[in-house]
Amino acid sequence: MRGNFGRILLVELRGDRVAVEHVALPEAAYHAFVGGVGLGAYLLWRFAPAGVDPLAPEAPLVYAFSPLLGTPLTTTAKFAVLCKSPLTGRISDGLSSSRFALAAKRLGVDALVIRGALDRLGWLHLDEDPAACRVEPCPAWAGLSAHELSDMAAKQGLFRHVSAIGPAGEAQIRYATISNDGRHAGRGGAGAVLGAKRVKAISVRGAAVAGVADAASVQVRARDLAARSAGAATEKYRALGTAANLETFDRLRILPRRNFQTVSIGQAAARRLAPEGLARAGEHVRDSCAGCTIGCDHRYGGTRIEYETQFALGPLIDVDDPACLLAAAGACDALGLDTISAGGTLAFAMECAERGLVDWPLRFGDDVLPWLRAIARREGAGDLLAEGTRRIAAVIGQGSERFACHVKGLELPGYEPRAMQTFALGLCVACRGADHNRSGAYQADLQAGVDRYRADVARAPARVIEAEDNAALLDSLILCKFLRGAIREPWREGAELLAMVTGVPRGEDDLRRSARRIAAVRHAFNVREGWTLAEDRLPDRFHDEALEDGASLDRADVAAMVDAYHAARGHVPRGGPSERLRRELELDAWLTDAPPLQGPASLG
Amino acid sequence: MVTVELYGVPRLRAGASRVEVPAGTLASILHALASILPGLVPDIVHDGRLTEHALVAVDGREIVADPTLPIADGTVLVLISAAAGG
Repeated sequence: MRGNFGRILLVELRGDRVAVEHVALPEAAYHAFVGGVGLGAYLLWRFAPAGVDPLAPEAPLVYAFSPLLGTPLTTTAKFAVLCKSPLTGRISDGLSSSRFALAAKRLGVDALVIRGALDRLGWLHLDEDPAACRVEPCPAWAGLSAHELSDMAAKQGLFRHVSAIGPAGEAQIRYATISNDGRHAGRGGAGAVLGAKRVKAISVRGAAVAGVADAASVQVRARDLAARSAGAATEKYRALGTAANLETFDRLRILPRRNFQTVSIGQAAARRLAPEGLARAGEHVRDSCAGCTIGCDHRYGGTRIEYETQFALGPLIDVDDPACLLAAAGACDALGLDTISAGGTLAFAMECAERGLVDWPLRFGDDVLPWLRAIARREGAGDLLAEGTRRIAAVIGQGSERFACHVKGLELPGYEPRAMQTFALGLCVACRGADHNRSGAYQADLQAGVDRYRADVARAPARVIEAEDNAALLDSLILCKFLRGAIREPWREGAELLAMVTGVPRGEDDLRRSARRIAAVRHAFNVREGWTLAEDRLPDRFHDEALEDGASLDRADVAAMVDAYHAARGHVPRGGPSERLRRELELDAWLTDAPPLQGPASLG
Repeated sequence: MVTVELYGVPRLRAGASRVEVPAGTLASILHALASILPGLVPDIVHDGRLTEHALVAVDGREIVADPTLPIADGTVLVLISAAAGG
């Protein structure tokens, strides 16, 4: 099979040393899980001890590559990072685009599984030659942002492409990110896991090439896909960026404001925070991720702004000054904080303070820069805020859980579920917690013929499952979701791409089975780690408080949609796959109780 | 008259954020839009229909696509990019 190397690298950290070992994976694993998020989910299942503390040394951190990575196909320079989330206690996977992805695959492996911990802050260098892998203590790098670290290392000739954590990762903030070329694998706190291993940075060096089975066809398709990526389907991302959503969502009354208390900031404020307003606050520059022909990366005054960041550090905390928003976004980038969770946590803290439940000097609309710094350093109240909304609510009590806006501990993204009720189901059942990237069910609500204010028990589960399976496909291949509009038949084209690259024919139905298998393994991981049906729910606010236009979300309807979703997925009531689903997806071959594959023996 | 508000790429293409057109069916309104805002053609509006790159919501709520749908005087149509996400 081309496109893959058929092996992974086990990386074991202990004291001030590292030992590595190549472990072969059967070809069937690639067929079953494709790559990226899918392959990573399987590896996480295999290597994470059941019930492991996400910040314990034995908790694995998985970097998973994909068969398309390293080909000329646009948007494929990505990798997935997986762990048991220290924020949710459930599966976490982040995707990041970067030249690091391209460089890391040249180690000649399809994934890295990192276990153990160093006894002091170190730089982990991984090399195609196992004997050249090493750890260097780097106490002087403590407190550097990933960007500062990259600049310094480049000037000193240490390394070119790096995966690193900022101060928040070092302090094990539960929503710390891992940064690569200025992009982040966010959501769920993978940065805290790397921080718990005391690894500040990972550099890579290798020259291995997985190759492709049909280079001529890949070249032709790469040109075709690049042309499609420059068409009308992606114009919004290219011309305006996702920041254009804010004003639109304000008009559609789905833009959460003040910790999901209302859904509009008004036309004038929306225009101030829209791309045109941001451009007045900072010089606008457009850029692209490595290997991407779309170019959705819009920066204002040097700070990258995407819709979720704009929502979370703007309307959600009631900030309508573009300069304040840009400063907060820049601080999250430098500190290595997930912007949705940072904004969501601060919004919850602001509401608690305004209600008098805590005496923090924090109000909606405040400048949050000092608070972000306090969180990243765990100073003062920042130490509790570093724990995320769910844990803060558990400490504060006094009924605050009612408006603690999270699912499974993950703060909500910027779509109002009371006015998007298919998406409400997507949020409830998503394996990562409140999630817009592994489902994308918001798309179902924004189409003709769907009443987005109604919980459609009969149709919503199938819509959510289709969105989840589509995401599993794109996240495992790995292709950018912003190509969605340019790929009319993702299953057919996905199968074609895999066949061209790997040389192994895939059918559309066969690929759909892989996507369902990936979803099943992600769910099974959560069940093993303690999932119960009770956590597939939204906070009480969304049921007990109607929006100003009267929109509300019926608790019983949502529960019925959740039940119908699990039934349609083939899950048994207590969680996990039914016997039928196990047989259909051959899950018993993968969800074994066998101990994890052995690691390197060289550390004893 | 029907007010059409434009957001995202439709606004960028049209160079206008708000226009008024005579009431009628959705198709007649889209024809009128194409006539007064030619930048919308062909990627946003084509042949009296919206392309897959745009959506229109009645009063910002119900998303509609049926070209025969009557749109009454005083209605506000919100024309947006189809691509959400971010």
